[in-house]
Amino acid sequence: MNTDPTRAILIADLGYGDAGKGSIVDALARATHAHTVIRYNGGAQAAHNVITPDGRQHTFSQFGSATFVPGVRTHLSRYMILHPLAMLAEERHLRGLGVEDAFERTSIEREALVISPFQQAANRLKEIARGDARHGSCGLGIGETMADWLAFGSEMLFAGDLHQPARVTRKLKRIRDLKLAQLQPLLLSLKDNPDALAERKLLEDPRLIEMTAELFAHFASRVRCVEPHELGKFLKQPGTTIFEGAQGVLLDEWWGFYPYNTWSTLTYKNADTLLAENNFPGAVLKLGLLRGYATRHGAGPFVSEDAHLTAAIQDRHNVDNPWQRAFRVGYLDLLALRYALQVTGRVDGLVVTNLDRMAAMPQWRVCTAYDYPGPAADLAGDFEHHGRRVTGIRLPADPTDLPAQEWLTRRLMQMQPIYTGCKHSRESYLAMLQNALSLPIVITSDGPSARDKEIRFLEMTQPV
Amino acid sequence: MGTGRWSTDLYDEHNRYKAASGKSTFDYSDTLHNSSRDAWRVHASLNPLGVKFRESRDSAEHPNATAIAVMFDVTGSMGAVPVTLQQKLPQLLGLLLRKNYVSDPQILFGALGDATCDRIPLQVGQFESDNRMDENLENIFLEGGGGGQQTESYELGMYFIARHTAIDCWEKHGRKGYLFLIGDEMAYARVSHSEVRHLIADGLEVDIPLAEMVRELRQRYHVFYLLPKAASYGGDKTILKFWRNLLGQNVLELEDSETVCETIALAIGMMEGTIDLRAGMDDLRTYNATPETLQTVSKALANLPTSPLTARASAGTLFGLAAKALLDGKVRRRL
Repeated sequence: MNTDPTRAILIADLGYGDAGKGSIVDALARATHAHTVIRYNGGAQAAHNVITPDGRQHTFSQFGSATFVPGVRTHLSRYMILHPLAMLAEERHLRGLGVEDAFERTSIEREALVISPFQQAANRLKEIARGDARHGSCGLGIGETMADWLAFGSEMLFAGDLHQPARVTRKLKRIRDLKLAQLQPLLLSLKDNPDALAERKLLEDPRLIEMTAELFAHFASRVRCVEPHELGKFLKQPGTTIFEGAQGVLLDEWWGFYPYNTWSTLTYKNADTLLAENNFPGAVLKLGLLRGYATRHGAGPFVSEDAHLTAAIQDRHNVDNPWQRAFRVGYLDLLALRYALQVTGRVDGLVVTNLDRMAAMPQWRVCTAYDYPGPAADLAGDFEHHGRRVTGIRLPADPTDLPAQEWLTRRLMQMQPIYTGCKHSRESYLAMLQNALSLPIVITSDGPSARDKEIRFLEMTQPV
Repeated sequence: MGTGRWSTDLYDEHNRYKAASGKSTFDYSDTLHNSSRDAWRVHASLNPLGVKFRESRDSAEHPNATAIAVMFDVTGSMGAVPVTLQQKLPQLLGLLLRKNYVSDPQILFGALGDATCDRIPLQVGQFESDNRMDENLENIFLEGGGGGQQTESYELGMYFIARHTAIDCWEKHGRKGYLFLIGDEMAYARVSHSEVRHLIADGLEVDIPLAEMVRELRQRYHVFYLLPKAASYGGDKTILKFWRNLLGQNVLELEDSETVCETIALAIGMMEGTIDLRAGMDDLRTYNATPETLQTVSKALANLPTSPLTARASAGTLFGLAAKALLDGKVRRRL
C-alpha cells in the first residue's frame, strides 16, 4: 500500500517547447514513485524524448513520458487531441523496447477529440499552399480539427465513438463532405502541385472511410475509454500524479504570438480545471521548464535568436521536420520568460535543463532588453519602455483581439536584442536566473537520462 | 513543440492491421499462396538479386552497432519457426537491449529454401534496429516445399552474409557480428556458382567448398546452427554430426522450436561475456519464462563456453568502457 501523500505535480514549458518535458517527467516519476501521468493539452505533435539509464530511447507523443517506468499509468484527458494511427505506431516502438503493456496502462477520456485523415490532409494542403509563409504547423491536422470542432461541435469524432464503426463511418462521411466543400478552391489551385499529390489522392480514395473506421475500431479494442469522472479515482489515490504539458506557453492559443501559435491551451488552465472538478484533495506543485538557453521550432518571433548558437548547439532529437521547418537556438530572453510567467499564473519553481549543452556556447549572456527600430510611439500600451528601449512585454488587454495580437507580433519581430554578459559559471548563472525570475530552481538537468537530473527539493507549497 | 514523430500513414497501418488480424502474420505469403506457383516471387525488399551490401552501420542513436543475422529454413518442416520469431521478437529485443547483453543490436532476417527445387530459395532483409524488422518478417514468403532430401541451401545464406554484408562492428570496432542459422537439414557440399549467379547476380566462376565458405564467414561472424528437435529430422544423428563437424560447440540443439529467441539472446550474452548461463536463466525468469523454456534453453547452451565475464555493455558509454577496462585488469582500481 502506497503511503505517500496525495499530490499533483504540474509541468509546463515556459518557452516555445523543447525544454525537455519528457525526460523531466520520467525522472520525476522515478523519484516520486508516481502512479499516473495525465496529458492535459496538445496531441500527437508532442515529441518528448526520454533516454533510460539503460540506453533505450523513445520519443513520447501520446503516451505519458513515464511509460518506461513499470506500472505508471497514462490518462489522456478530454483536452488532448487524439491521433489513433500515430498512437498505434508509437505503441509498436515501445513494444520493440520491451514495454509490452503500454495500452493496458492507458485510459482515454471519452470526450477527447479525434483527428480524422480528412483534417490531416486539409491541414497539409493549407500548409503547402502557404509556401514559404508556413505557420510552422506539424502537419498532423490538430489545428484543423480544433477549428472544425468550434464550427461543428458534436458532429466531430470523439474517442468514445471509435468502437462503433457504423457511427464512425457516418461521422467521417459528414466530415469528408464538409472538408471537400471547404477545400474545393484550394484543391483547384494545387491541381498541378506535386507536393499536394499524396493528400489529394487520399481525399479522393473511395476506400478511405471504410479503412479508417476499421482501424479506429481496432484501436478502440486495445485501449480503455472512460467517463470523465474516472479521473477522480486516479487522483484520489495516495502518491503522485504528474500533469504533463505539451508545447510551451508562448505558443498558447490566446497568449502566444498570433499567428505563430497553436490551438491548444498551454498554460496550467486545463490542469487546474481537471483538479478542481474532481475536488483534488492533495497538494499541488507547479513547475515551469526552460533550457539554459532558448530554442524555437518553426516560424515566429524569437528576438534572441542567434545564428552562431544555432550552428554551435546541435540538438539530439529536434531534426528539421518537413512540415515544421528549422530548429533555431538563441540566448535566454528574460522579457519573454517574464511574459510567460505572467501568462501562466502561479508557478512554484523552475526546472532548468540542457545545462550540459551550454559548454558549447562561445559566450554566456542573457537578453535583458530590446531595442525597437521604429518610432517609440508604436510601443505605448503594449510594452514597458524608455524611448525605444523595451524592458517588458505587457499582457494584452484582450487576447481575443486578433488584429491587436498580430500587431504585437509584428513589432516583436522587429526588436533587436540587448544583452547582459554573465559569468561563465553554472552556479552563478543559475543564481542569476533565480534572481531575475524571482523563483527557486528545483530541478536541474545535465544530460538526457534520469541519472543526469538533480532534484534539489520538491516541498509542497499551499494546497489548492 | 515537436514533430509528428510516429508514422500516420493510413495505408501502411491498414495493411499491418489486416496482416495481424488474418490467420497468419505473413500476409505476403498468404497472398502469394492464393496465386499460381509461377507467380511466386520474392518480395522486392527481400530480394538478394543485385544487392551489393546489406549494411549494419553506427549512427548517432546507435553508436556501437552489433550486426546480428538470423536465417531460417522456410521449407515445410520448419514452418513454426518464423511465426515464433515474429511473436517473440519483442522479447528477444527486450532481452538484448534491456539487459544490455550487447550494444545497439541490429537484426537482419533471412529465409532459406532449397535452390535445387524451390521457387524462392533465398530471401534477405536489412539490418534494422527497431520494429522495421517486423516488416521484413511479414514479407518473407513461406514456400513450404522442400523435404525429403535432408539438404537445404544454407550455404547460399552463408555466402550472402560473408560477401554481401558491411558491418561496422567488425570494420570499425573489430568485434565480430553474429549469424544464427535455424534449420533441420544439412547444407549442400559446395556453394554453386550458377545458383549464385542466378540468385544474387555475382559473377562467381567456380563453386566454393562448404568448409572454405564457413572459414571465410567465421573471420567476421560468430556462426551458430540451431537445430530444433521438434522439426522433422530433429535428433537425427547424421544431421547433428554434419553441423558439429563444421561448427563444433556452436551447434545448439533445442527440444522445442518455441525457444529460439531466448536461445539466441542468451547465446549472444554468453559470447559477449555480459552474462553466464546462470545469470541468463535469472533474466529469463524475470520475463516469466516457463520451467520448460528454462530447461530447453539451459540444455541447449550447456556446452557453450562463456567468455570471461565483462561488465554489461552500457550502450557504448564511457562508463561501460571504463568498467570493462577495470575488469580486464587494464586499469587498476584505486583503493
